Amino acid sequence: MKKIKRYLKLMGVFSKYSLMSALEYRINFVTGITVEMGWMIIKLLYVAIIYKAGTNIGILTPDHILLFVGTYMLMTGFFMLYYGNFASLPGMIQKGELDLYLVKPVSVQFLVTMRRLDFAYLLPELAAGIFMIVLGWHLAGLPVGFVPIAGFLFYLLCGCLLTYSLFLLPYILSFWTISVGGIADITNALWDFNNMPSLIYGKWFRRFGTYILPVFVITNFPGLFLMGELSPFGCFWGAAAPVIFFLLTRRLWKISLKRYSSASS
Amino acid sequence: MNRYRCVFLMGVEQALEYRVSFLLSMLSAVFPIIIQTTMWNYLYSHSDAAAVFGYEQGQILLYALLANIVTQLVSTGFEGEMNEDIKMGGLNKYLVRPIEYRGYQFFRFLGQKIPRLMVIAPVMVIIIAAAVWQGLALSAGRVSAFLISLLLAVILNFLIYFCVGLLGFWFTDVDKLFGTISIVLIVLSGGVFPMDIFGGFWEKLMQWMPFGYATQFSVNIINGRLDWGHVGIGFLFQTGWIICFACLGHILWKRGLKRYAAIGG
Amino acid sequence: MITVEHLRKEFKYYKKTTGIQGSLHNIFHRESLTKAAVSDISFSVSRGEMVGFLGPNGAGKTTTLKMLSGILYPTDGRAEVDGYIPWERKEDFKRRISVVMGQKNQLWWDLPASDSFYLNKCIYEVSDADYRNVVEELSELLDVRDLLNVQVRRLSLGERMKMEIMAALIHRPDILFLDEPTIGLDILSQQKIRDFLKIYNEQWKTTVIITSHYMTDIEALCDRAVIINQGHLVYDGRLNEVNQLFGKRKLLSVKTSEYFGPEVWGQFGLVRKIDAAGVVLEVPQEQVKEILSAILSGLQVEDFTVTEIPLEESIARFYQKGVVMP
Repeated sequence: MKKIKRYLKLMGVFSKYSLMSALEYRINFVTGITVEMGWMIIKLLYVAIIYKAGTNIGILTPDHILLFVGTYMLMTGFFMLYYGNFASLPGMIQKGELDLYLVKPVSVQFLVTMRRLDFAYLLPELAAGIFMIVLGWHLAGLPVGFVPIAGFLFYLLCGCLLTYSLFLLPYILSFWTISVGGIADITNALWDFNNMPSLIYGKWFRRFGTYILPVFVITNFPGLFLMGELSPFGCFWGAAAPVIFFLLTRRLWKISLKRYSSASS
Repeated sequence: MNRYRCVFLMGVEQALEYRVSFLLSMLSAVFPIIIQTTMWNYLYSHSDAAAVFGYEQGQILLYALLANIVTQLVSTGFEGEMNEDIKMGGLNKYLVRPIEYRGYQFFRFLGQKIPRLMVIAPVMVIIIAAAVWQGLALSAGRVSAFLISLLLAVILNFLIYFCVGLLGFWFTDVDKLFGTISIVLIVLSGGVFPMDIFGGFWEKLMQWMPFGYATQFSVNIINGRLDWGHVGIGFLFQTGWIICFACLGHILWKRGLKRYAAIGG
Repeated sequence: MITVEHLRKEFKYYKKTTGIQGSLHNIFHRESLTKAAVSDISFSVSRGEMVGFLGPNGAGKTTTLKMLSGILYPTDGRAEVDGYIPWERKEDFKRRISVVMGQKNQLWWDLPASDSFYLNKCIYEVSDADYRNVVEELSELLDVRDLLNVQVRRLSLGERMKMEIMAALIHRPDILFLDEPTIGLDILSQQKIRDFLKIYNEQWKTTVIITSHYMTDIEALCDRAVIINQGHLVYDGRLNEVNQLFGKRKLLSVKTSEYFGPEVWGQFGLVRKIDAAGVVLEVPQEQVKEILSAILSGLQVEDFTVTEIPLEESIARFYQKGVVMP
């Protein structure tokens, strides 16, 4: 418990410092927001098309889909918050910049992946995401109460952890090979499959994206839980997958770090 | 045989580090197309989408496949460099040489298109051939109209982005803003979805605004959505906008240079 | 405090053969070569000592320092630092040490240094009172009180290095590892940092391990120098005794208005180099004065300087002599 408190405090300091640094370059900060809004337009186009077509996707009405895409936007915002750290990992490894992080009495993985937070990307996605979730929730007439809200938030949180773990994996490979650009590109592109609810895809593809590379879990499970459409096993898997993948990244990170310490000069 | 195996393996090994990475990056560009075609197939089989969007299923699928490629073909990237030249004084060396900066950028832009064309052209031919095989009616006239419109689209897009790049004379630190502008322009030119599916207002907008003539117009010639009358009007608009942006670029360039000289680079 | 026994660190790399034949060969039979950055080093340091690692570039001093601070795993050998094995990277161990690297920075570039100090306070869980005291005291000693709230990117290189050192001392480590802390700094800044380290070490009895290829750094700071060359420990002892092992000698560079041949210079000392620009003589230290006055009275001298024999050269000679400390 004390440890968690300490890490949360560090997160707080990192957030504050990142924001202060970002505000040193105000124009960059603002244009960062506009870039992210540009990307949001594309996501909104998908929703617009669904509304225009006016069809359900399986059990999902357009209002449900609005909520699903809102969840997707929110998650994108949280992912983009720390994604810059992932992207700079290969460079840091090549230049041996990990050295000074290794001697700090805090988890190296935590320091390296959380030290810079990009609020310019978070803010627009957060605002639009929350708005769409609330609107979709209301329009679809989904239940409001402690259990639905708590459950929804719980699976959101699980989704955050799963995003972090799943998308860190390819970058850890940069401890082993020079160029991870392609692998990273392709996993990042996987993220875009959440543009649409997973129900739109074929059965096998959906299974693959739920159980093997569980990108669909991230943005579909909160909504499905809310609709009461998550099976008991689904409820379990939604909570277990993040833990499994997080432990996997921890393991791989430690092995890779050992390699870094043995190979670099 | 063994010798060939060795050579093959050697090639694989050499290519492994970077080329696999490159290929994966290319592959990741396919993902959005998969998402879109999945979505269109679903919508067309579950609703009267053809009436809603004004595109036949075949037309919209061909659109999804080609829009991305056409966007790749017309896309620029020199605007960041122009900004650098303006900011860092790199422009000076063009001003004293008997070489015209605009001409230099244009021909370099075309030159850089060639390697990309070698990848893009076969892919495009395959897609179109597949569409013909699926029953797309295609005449020699349409193919040549498509190719001409494509060439004009490349020129138009160059001129648009050249004007965008010239903004560097008036604004500093616009690097990220270019990102925003290019996302918005890609969306507006129909690089993601054909914008006229959104009906009335957008249909008019796409017809009167320049952006659609950088992507949407060409694709809609080849997929047979535009009849010959509209193709003719389209060409008039496309040429008109090319002239407009050429003039705008000329004016901005003259004014910008004056400002540049006044400030002293 | 620190004991090191037969420490060894090898790096693996692959032999590249040129040509198609070579490449083909490499696929199936990649020849891996090992290079020992540190071959076999043993020594010990007691609490409060200030020890300098000396050696030319690539000698293995930084590698040794990285192993002692837990950044690198050794290939072989043992080391114990404050009762811990460094590369196990126990959290308690990390709280007792601190590392400063002249070529790498840990401060937040766009923020004042004080913010980076506060971050370290949180990381090392220093109490508020201790934190206030340490910042107060160190900023006084380093004379940076006015700079605490200036963004790091606006500081000069020397000021930045002071801040780096200060950030490393927020948690009052028992052991401080410094890797080339004065690299690239002007003479004045070097001097100030040396003075500070000297005072700090005396006041707080912090054990300090410092690597440098500036002899003056080590000379000013450390009673004891560990000279490393090509991965071997070649000398461990007082620095001022190093030169005495060869007899103290100095280099005398003289510029004259007209050219004199070796036959003229030879009578003053050992001629090392001679050209139109002047001459470099190697002379015994105690005779510098008389030789110089002899030259000045005999020849038209435009300029002269007296310098130490370069460290690299001393060490190289050391190494050739085969003097390896037990």
